[in-house]
Amino acid sequence: MSTTTLRVKTAPPFRVDASPLLPAALASLPVAEIAWLMLPAGNDTVAVGDLFDVSRDDAPAGGAHDEPALVIDGAGAWLDRVGARLDAGRLIVRGTAGDCAGLRMTGGTLAIEGDAGGFVGCEMRGGRLDVSGDCGDFAAGALPGDMEGMSGGTLTIRGHAGARLADRMRRGLVLVGGDAGAYAASRLVAGTVGVAGRTGAHCAYGMRRGTLLLAHAPASLPPTFSEGGRGFEVFWALLARSLASEIAPFSQWRLPRARLTGDLAVDGRGELLIAG
Amino acid sequence: MSATTTDTAPLTINGTAIDATFAEAFPMKATRLVITARTAAWAREAAVSLTGFATSVIGCGCEAGIERTLAPADTPDGRPGVSVLLFAVSSKELAKQIGRRVGQCVLTCPTTAVYGGIDPATSAAPLSDRAPLGSGLRFFGDGWQIAKMIDAGHGPTRYWRVPVMDGEFVCEDTAQTVKAVGGGNLLFLARDLDAALAASEAAVAAMRRLPNVAMPFPGGIVRSGSKVGSKYAGATASTNDAFCPTLLGLSPRSELTAEVGAVLEIVIDGLTEADVAAAMTAGIDAATRLGRAAGVLRISAGNYGGKLGPYHFHLHALAADLAGERR
Repeated sequence: MSTTTLRVKTAPPFRVDASPLLPAALASLPVAEIAWLMLPAGNDTVAVGDLFDVSRDDAPAGGAHDEPALVIDGAGAWLDRVGARLDAGRLIVRGTAGDCAGLRMTGGTLAIEGDAGGFVGCEMRGGRLDVSGDCGDFAAGALPGDMEGMSGGTLTIRGHAGARLADRMRRGLVLVGGDAGAYAASRLVAGTVGVAGRTGAHCAYGMRRGTLLLAHAPASLPPTFSEGGRGFEVFWALLARSLASEIAPFSQWRLPRARLTGDLAVDGRGELLIAG
Repeated sequence: MSATTTDTAPLTINGTAIDATFAEAFPMKATRLVITARTAAWAREAAVSLTGFATSVIGCGCEAGIERTLAPADTPDGRPGVSVLLFAVSSKELAKQIGRRVGQCVLTCPTTAVYGGIDPATSAAPLSDRAPLGSGLRFFGDGWQIAKMIDAGHGPTRYWRVPVMDGEFVCEDTAQTVKAVGGGNLLFLARDLDAALAASEAAVAAMRRLPNVAMPFPGGIVRSGSKVGSKYAGATASTNDAFCPTLLGLSPRSELTAEVGAVLEIVIDGLTEADVAAAMTAGIDAATRLGRAAGVLRISAGNYGGKLGPYHFHLHALAADLAGERR
């Protein structure tokens, strides 16, 4: 399949909603028509051709793939909702992404080769989202007022994550190569969250079920967490196999040395596994 | 069951006559379960227990057998394992048998875990529905059980973690079932019981080297071959008098000659028609390699005239490419 490339001409002084820029949708349009697409920008709209140089290459980006690809080159923090509702294809963002990258995506692959703003992978349902840099608050969480955060797919953040990582997350896998801010995995309903660095205050607050993998024990935990005992080797073997192809250090982790369970203030069937 | 003759040209391999007849088999529902444990011995204990009293759907609810042992690299959790095959006449009965047998024989066995063993993406057998596995057994956890979705590269799979006294019993939520074939069979007519046993054991050993098949009777061999019906009301099956050596001269249906001293049967269930055919071919090959010199006089098969089962395995066709001296 072909690769469509949008190269930023000049960063605009206003925020732009990039949600219409999806690989499959753009692959079906002629290059000239793509330039005439209108993107929401605050209370106004802006044409793709005014922001980007549009080109198309029949050779797929990053090797042989049979799915449409879209490359946004030179993106900045002004580009919000990139990959929102992505359901197929590959979207590669070279540069920084704004807020809500991968919002409610259900499939495909979104790779951000830089930092991402807040709400990355928010209410994500499926697919894969990779952030090579840091991200803001509420990654894999829920939009304000919504009851459910991420409920499927895989989100990896090689850098640091902000506060409220995986808040209200229900299903899926979130891996953070660096530190996570306050309230990491707070109100977690289920799913798996891994943090290779340090976690901030109130880690796992209100966690109902799910698994939180930590390289370091939290500085403090609420008294509503208790020792989780042993005897989870078989489950760990299954989980470790699924992590084998993920980012380091999770791909190399051995059987955790400690297990804590909680938050007993709520359901209490969540678990914190501290890496061995 | 009778041995209705359909093929006319005689076939003899190493002095063993292959009857011009066919085995008649039926559609069944089947699944494969992978049982793992801390050691291969405990995995086998669970598998033997699960496949016990599963010789015939007539009285056991299902037919089951151990398919093969699995190396740690071939199991989902990297531990030694055993794969078993279960066959039943309907999806409902198969689901019932899976729940009962896994609940009583695997859940109870130290260190075990159990997973579905049929990959829908690669299955040669037509897919049927998904039978409950952990989704029913989870209630043993009394509310302490935990569900976990894990994606090991084949799409998200739901597992249950049920607290038990040696840690956790881990099992997959459901097991894929398939439309399979049951009732392939071979009859070994021998000079005496020792020869019949030798031929049957060699045939079973050859069949067990093949995937996707189970020989559900004890040791893979059945001595009480049956026919449909009985002189007694209420009995659905009775002894296959046509192949009982003590009834030679008594039963009008007898298909034996005076030189036949014993007959043993192997019943084969497989995931596909090709799997059953391959196992029957391997069995015929193993028995004819022993040949008449070892007392293996004839090989036959049971059928119902071809009117009941849609799968017909003609012995001459199965033996067409086998090695050996022919007459």
